[in-house]
Amino acid sequence: MTTRPPTETGSMDPRTDTAKPASTEQEGRFGRTSMSGAKGRHVSVENLDAWYGDQHAVKSFNIEYEPNKVTAMIGPSGSGKSTMVRCINRMHEEIPGARVSGKIAIDGEDLYHASVDVTSVRHAAGMVFQKPNPFPTMSIFDNVAAGPRLTGMKGGGLKERVEKSLRGAALWDEVKDRLNQPGIGLSGGQQQRLCIARALAVEPEVILMDEPCSALDPIATLRIEELIDELKQRYTIVIVTHNMQQAARVADSTAFMLDGELIEVGPTERMFTKPNDDRTEQYVSGKFG
Amino acid sequence: METRVAFKEELRELEERALQGLDMVVSSLERVMEALQHQDVELAEMVVEDDDRIDGRYLEVHQGILSLLARQAPVATDLRLVAALLDVIKHVERMGDQCVNIAKVIPLTGHEPPSDRAMLETLAEMGRHAASLVEQSKRAFAGRNVELAQDLVVRDEAINRLQREAFRLAIEIGDDVDTREWAMTMLLVARAIERIGDNAVDIGEQTAFVVTGLFREFTDASHPAGV
Repeated sequence: MTTRPPTETGSMDPRTDTAKPASTEQEGRFGRTSMSGAKGRHVSVENLDAWYGDQHAVKSFNIEYEPNKVTAMIGPSGSGKSTMVRCINRMHEEIPGARVSGKIAIDGEDLYHASVDVTSVRHAAGMVFQKPNPFPTMSIFDNVAAGPRLTGMKGGGLKERVEKSLRGAALWDEVKDRLNQPGIGLSGGQQQRLCIARALAVEPEVILMDEPCSALDPIATLRIEELIDELKQRYTIVIVTHNMQQAARVADSTAFMLDGELIEVGPTERMFTKPNDDRTEQYVSGKFG
Repeated sequence: METRVAFKEELRELEERALQGLDMVVSSLERVMEALQHQDVELAEMVVEDDDRIDGRYLEVHQGILSLLARQAPVATDLRLVAALLDVIKHVERMGDQCVNIAKVIPLTGHEPPSDRAMLETLAEMGRHAASLVEQSKRAFAGRNVELAQDLVVRDEAINRLQREAFRLAIEIGDDVDTREWAMTMLLVARAIERIGDNAVDIGEQTAFVVTGLFREFTDASHPAGV
């Protein structure tokens, strides 16, 4: 167990880190350019605590996100689901007064190690948000190309990456003839898939989705859910959702959080037929929340 | 604040309607056994006609469950209960049909058929056991009482034993052709009562499923020795 005291800067304190030194492979994974994205990775969270100032949002959280599986995070508003997920790609620490302690690792490599570049962590763990948020002034092509360009990619390689990402997000056929048009001109569902394509363009290993369908109509929601099922062949996926049926439809595992604590995690089928904890039973049955 | 009040009320009513179906079966079984003992063809016909009520209850509960599934998407204990009720109401309908099967053989034996007191008493005892078993299956399910549900297996064995006794009586009933034909018909009755006992045990298994989340047969007819 690696426990770090909260720091004033909002990030984990590397001084107390006991993780092994970064290997060459680790440099590759969290370096600026090389992430294969060919297969999902194992994400382990150990004794994670997260705060917003005095508010203890995530408490002693332990979980294993299995490669090429979809894990749904469910729980009432304010239970710490989104905070938990944002800790995985180190976005939580960007909030003033926010702090984290504990350990999160991808295939054993500590995301909070002092030698790890935060930007590379965000490449490794792509995020899709509740509301589609394409860059408003950019074309469809540029929205997807923005990430790879930051790594120096250009020319034919960039075009290839954009097409691959749009195909991966099941959007290519719908936009291939209008790549230069603004991304915000797409429908809500298409915009969300554009955001997924944008996340895929930097070849992540983990995809984090925070209520990705809450602003979408039922048909667009189903398309995203089908896409999630395809994406899990290549990525580890964590999805935060308030939609119990969505969790039941898309997730291999489901984790229930309450008041910042992980109450129960297990195969989705069991969680929705015979949960072990009475609080889970009450929540999934709609008795509270 | 209590939530899903309407859903819970709807589910409670569905369970009540399904379990009332078991009362209807007991009533039907008692009447058909009386018809058998007294060779009362009219009462037997009433049992056949009255089975429409049980069939109607089956359709009503089945439709209610489908509607509930579509609109309320029950999960966890609620889902197990809904799934179990689908099974329970199916058994109710089948037990009703077994009563009809008994009722339909009564006119076949004629107004004053040859009979055998021992056989009729054996069947009457089977009928009483079966009615009691159905009542117990209702109490076990309504009370989520796994122990009471498992006890159905023990009590069902008494019915099975009596069925074997009926078989023995039929074999030993003598050489008179009409009496032997009557005895063969009575074996159909014994078989129908035995099936009602099995259906009651099945409801007991559903009780255990609702409580534990695990479905298993109390007894495995295919592998009686657990092989």
